[in-house]
Amino acid sequence: MKNQFVFLGICCGVIIGLVVVALLFKKKVLDVTFDERQERIRGMAYKYAFFTLMIAVWIYGALDLALGRWCDTLAGISLCVGASITVFAVICIVKDAYLGLKERPRAVMTLFVLLTVFNLGIGGMYLASGELVEDGVLTFRAVNPIVGLVTLVILIVYLVNVAAERKEG
Amino acid sequence: MKNLRMKAARAALDLSQQQLADAVGVSRQTINAIEKGDYNPTIRLCLAICRALGKTLDDLFWEEQ
Repeated sequence: MKNQFVFLGICCGVIIGLVVVALLFKKKVLDVTFDERQERIRGMAYKYAFFTLMIAVWIYGALDLALGRWCDTLAGISLCVGASITVFAVICIVKDAYLGLKERPRAVMTLFVLLTVFNLGIGGMYLASGELVEDGVLTFRAVNPIVGLVTLVILIVYLVNVAAERKEG
Repeated sequence: MKNLRMKAARAALDLSQQQLADAVGVSRQTINAIEKGDYNPTIRLCLAICRALGKTLDDLFWEEQ
């Protein structure tokens, strides 16, 4: 029964997330118009992200075999996907192909700040209540802090890249 | 190889990289990459840049051996 509520909660979260993303597209905060150089770099980044995902899933499976169950499947998959998304985003940011032509950097980065604070905050709450790790197993509740860490890394890399670009002139 | 002819043509029209980028529908970083020689544009983008700068393909992109 508990798992059914969890599943329902995850479904609600995904639906709310999709609605928010759709609204952001409607409000033109998010946009997927890229020029030819950006498309090319994003293609290359997808390739590296795909290989990262393959390797991460393989490592996750191998660790599960070697150490026994150390995390919930959802947390493990989230770690692999998080690693993959991070690789994609970092390559795109460094090569100036992350944001679309019509996207407003300030609005997008504000969104990332909110996502980071929200997800890391929830992660902190779970950590404090002892629900993040139960009996030595990383629970599915780790999904929030994983998402928070990914958005935090993207935010930091973006800001460092902007600072480096300004310094370069 | 740096594309100094394109940079000079842009400067002659007193256009910034951002203004040229907006005129041809790409990002400022793409114009910067072309001028620095880090990116080879497609013929379609070359033509758009030539039209925006009032130059021919030979003027901006032909390299003598």
